[in-house]
Amino acid sequence: MASDTLIESDLDISQLVDKPWTTIVWDDPVNLMSYVTFVFVKLFGFSQEKAHALMMQVHTEGRAAVSTGSREEMERDVQRLHERGLWATLQRDDKI
Amino acid sequence: MSAFSRNGGIYALALSLDEAHILINLVEQLLELLGEGDFNHHYDDSDPFAQLMSQLKAAPEEVTAPEDPVLLRLLPNAYADPEAAADFRRYTEPTLRGKKKRILAEVRSGLEVLVDEDHAGIIEDLNPENWLLAINDLRLALSVRLEITPESFDLFETLTEEDPQKSLYAVYFWLGWMQENLLTLLAGG
Repeated sequence: MASDTLIESDLDISQLVDKPWTTIVWDDPVNLMSYVTFVFVKLFGFSQEKAHALMMQVHTEGRAAVSTGSREEMERDVQRLHERGLWATLQRDDKI
Repeated sequence: MSAFSRNGGIYALALSLDEAHILINLVEQLLELLGEGDFNHHYDDSDPFAQLMSQLKAAPEEVTAPEDPVLLRLLPNAYADPEAAADFRRYTEPTLRGKKKRILAEVRSGLEVLVDEDHAGIIEDLNPENWLLAINDLRLALSVRLEITPESFDLFETLTEEDPQKSLYAVYFWLGWMQENLLTLLAGG
């Protein structure tokens, strides 16, 4: 398609569009499952079901993406997770 | 036996004197590690329990060093990239450290009454979420020193009473039990 050719020419699209960033929570053997679920509900307003599913994803897969947005928003989320003792990092979401 | 209780929106914690001593020892040592030493210390360095705990103390010049594993767990890197992590830390770590110290100091004030009056008792009208965070930070700090893994509870059960590690593990699992107790009350609506 024509538009593909245009984008791939000499424009770095990542400099034009603020690509989404993602907050990742990592598994650790210390934080209680009930505590992690509580923190997800509290910080992100998730339903109990969604918070529990994300907690299980952290527990079984070792990590889960808990929020996406601008870099500033994700830095704020990481900070709030660190305040509560969860192990969290942010990264640019290259999948999008 | 320690237990949180809840009456409507009011939370309380009943503690034996021994439990209050153990908690205030840990809280004060974590406060010191975070760089806050401006309070009356309740633990005596000659006390066998305080000696076990003393490995939580860092030399003053190491307090701000990110290599300290306990501090690194409580104040973790936000980025995998070291440069981005260092930048983020420079701007945000003082706030994070300050919040953790403020919450630990609040918990310490509640414990101090029991310890100074030298009796078991009830800490009334406590902030449950701040206590939850403080207990979690104590567990995180102990977990680094004890190198906690998913298999640690099995290891704990095989330790003999004479093993000096036994009481440290016991405190670690007791803190987890307290946290579950408080979370159950908080989930009650």
